[in-house]
Amino acid sequence: MGTEDRAQTETGGVATAAASILSVRDVHKTYKLGRVKVPVLHGVDIDVRPGEWVTILGASGSGKSTLLHLMGGLDRPDKNEGQRASIKFEGTELTKQSKRALDRYRADDVGFVFQFYHLLPELSVVQNVCIGAMILHGRIGYMRQRQGTIERATKLLERFGLGHRLKHRPMELSGGERQRVAIARALINDPKLLLADEPTGNLDLKTGQSILDTMIEYRERAGLTMVMVTHDERIAERADRVIRLVDGRVEGVPDSSIMGSEHPPA
Amino acid sequence: MYQALLTRKYLTRKIMPMLAMVAVMLSVATILVTWSVMGGFLKTLIESGRTLVGDVAIVWPNVGFGYYDELMEDLEADPMIAAATPSIETFGLIQLPDDRIELVSIKGVDPSSYSAVTGFGDTLWWKPIDGPTPKDHDGEDLRLQDENQDLMERVYNNGLRMMRENPATGIDEPAGVLGVEVTGLNYRTPWGGYEPWIGNRARPDGGIDRVELFMPNNGTVGLTVLSLDSNGRPVDPKTITMPIANEFQSGIYEVDQQTIMVPLDVLQRMLRLDAAQRVELVRDDENPFAVEEDPVTGEIRPKMREEIGLDPARVTTVLVNGAEGYELEAVRTRVQEIYTEFASRHKGEVPSAFDMKRQVKTWEDLNRTMISAVKKETGLVLFIFGIVSFTTVFLVLAIFWSMASEKTKDIGILRALGASTPGIAWLWIRYGAAIGIVGSVLGTAMGYWIVSDINAIHDWIGRTTGLVIWDPQQYYFIEIPSDVDPQKALIVFVVGVLTCVLGALLPAWHSARMDPVKALRFE
Ligand SMILES: Nc1ncnc2c1ncn2[C@@H]1O[C@H](COP(=O)(O)OP(=O)(O)OP(=O)(O)O)[C@@H](O)[C@H]1O
Ligand SMILES: [Mg+2]
Repeated sequence: MGTEDRAQTETGGVATAAASILSVRDVHKTYKLGRVKVPVLHGVDIDVRPGEWVTILGASGSGKSTLLHLMGGLDRPDKNEGQRASIKFEGTELTKQSKRALDRYRADDVGFVFQFYHLLPELSVVQNVCIGAMILHGRIGYMRQRQGTIERATKLLERFGLGHRLKHRPMELSGGERQRVAIARALINDPKLLLADEPTGNLDLKTGQSILDTMIEYRERAGLTMVMVTHDERIAERADRVIRLVDGRVEGVPDSSIMGSEHPPA
Repeated sequence: MYQALLTRKYLTRKIMPMLAMVAVMLSVATILVTWSVMGGFLKTLIESGRTLVGDVAIVWPNVGFGYYDELMEDLEADPMIAAATPSIETFGLIQLPDDRIELVSIKGVDPSSYSAVTGFGDTLWWKPIDGPTPKDHDGEDLRLQDENQDLMERVYNNGLRMMRENPATGIDEPAGVLGVEVTGLNYRTPWGGYEPWIGNRARPDGGIDRVELFMPNNGTVGLTVLSLDSNGRPVDPKTITMPIANEFQSGIYEVDQQTIMVPLDVLQRMLRLDAAQRVELVRDDENPFAVEEDPVTGEIRPKMREEIGLDPARVTTVLVNGAEGYELEAVRTRVQEIYTEFASRHKGEVPSAFDMKRQVKTWEDLNRTMISAVKKETGLVLFIFGIVSFTTVFLVLAIFWSMASEKTKDIGILRALGASTPGIAWLWIRYGAAIGIVGSVLGTAMGYWIVSDINAIHDWIGRTTGLVIWDPQQYYFIEIPSDVDPQKALIVFVVGVLTCVLGALLPAWHSARMDPVKALRFE
């Protein structure tokens, strides 16, 4: 997002928004299956501060993935009467952005880690990591910094203990290894915001913890903001803040307290 | 950038694109082969149609026109005109050696000038040849055999002169040149040549004669024409017996099957188009009141006087060959101008320049029906190509649709990583173009190879499977044309690529428009 946008909203926008890198207000999401409506989110409000690590806990089917998609600009909230859905990233209103701007937002500012790895099976590990950079920079831009990108990808993968797997294809990797490749891919463009959907969900505790350690380490060095969905209370404990999704709402904490609370980053 | 990478990976890692590529390759090759071969045939056909016509013809049918020698001199004096030759075209009946009577087109030609204007000499079939014809692998051609060389030399000369020696008298007599298919007695060999007829003939007494009939050697035909007087009215039919000097093959079956050429003067005499004294009765103007008795009717009539003039020899056609480097139409216009001048010198004696306006024709005009048939055929072929290409579009579309569906999740991932809608569409279009280019390159190469070796391939298929598709015994061209027009190759190539791009468009659009969240949830 451009700095101009940010400056504008900081002076004219909601006061609390200035403090948060990401602010979600009154977000509703209903899926339509033909004529049947499946309401998933009923007015979610979340604020995330720069550099903060927030985990979202919730039962299966409670809409965690849905929320993450909305935060990442991959989907749009409902536009119902009387609701003022708003998702702001660094002060920019995502719900009002064009498709193109959202594409740019995802490429530049957001790193996605999906629940089910979602690697491209035809590409090697390094290529899977570099693809984000290719999308961001376009043909000419990428050609110019190709070498640098590959080096960075290699370094990331080495840090995740995959230095010896660079040329392998996803099929030849274990689940944990694949998830680490997916995380490296999310980080290749140095995003400001990492949206991770159960990054350790399919892994055993030990592998999960070690992946988590790497992420935490990276976050501390890069000042990354992380929103992580998990089922696992033990992981949630390590986060700066835990948000529970129940019945399509953020549970327990009254809206005002979220807005006013001052959680220092860990 | 990612499009290039994925295109490459999708191309090499999947069986589907291979299939699409093969499909494109085969259609491109098929179209190129069909078009080249078809085009080759049509070109040969049109060229054959030109062989015996020259460039431009002045045609005044039936009664013909006189003073043609003078006209030809005028024509040949012009730098735009290389040569001219007089000829007569008419119809008549031919009586063949087996006593069949057929309708033929009879051409009276002057052999030496006719050769200069047309490819007459080359069309003569019976002549010494340097090597076997393309399909004559065992050198069976009679014209090649050592023992026939003298005979071939002789009949070739006879053909060029349109003369044949009468064995009884030892004197050369005017002789005709017969289309090689007219008698039906030349056996067409499996390799596309001819062998004279050897067979048995029933005798009226129940016996059988064994006959060997080589027309240029001992064949004669009977020719009957209906002559016309100088006003174009039919007079009595006239029949002559004519020895055959040689046989010709022009390459157009219809011509070779019903044409005989005879020396011009012979035909002029038969048709009474030769120079003749003209006796006219005119009123005696010395004494306008004198009368006499009509010797035929016995009636009294004004006194008449016989006036004797000379009717010049006439021909129905003058064929003209343009000098090198002049446009056909320019030559035609020039011929017209020369005729106009000629006609003004002979007012009242030859058809006027005005009447002749539509009668000065190019060889294309003369072969108009054939050429338009050929054009129609080309149109038909192109139409079929259209359908084939259309089918390929759907084939590519089907393959792409299934590939794009299979890759739905990849698309979702790419979208989540920030790929734009046009970016995704471009991925598939690029992919389609890549398949199109690879398939078309291979297809064009394959087409080139097949066409240039088509006769060898055809022979090989014939040898190994016994399947002869192109049988020179039945078809009129011995060989399958084997030239690829680079322009056609380019068109087919481009159409091949476009077809794939077209086939990729719909899946591309569909894939790009897909909701990324749904795509990600796609299993
Ligand atoms: N495209 C869709 N159409 C209809 N319903 C949908 C669609 N996508 C999601 N849902 C429904 O929305 C609800 C929330 O889905 P979501 O994937 O966000 O849950 P989740 O909290 O991530 O669950 P889990 O922990 O199992 O991953 C589910 O009940 C799901 O069935
Ligand atoms: Mg989920």
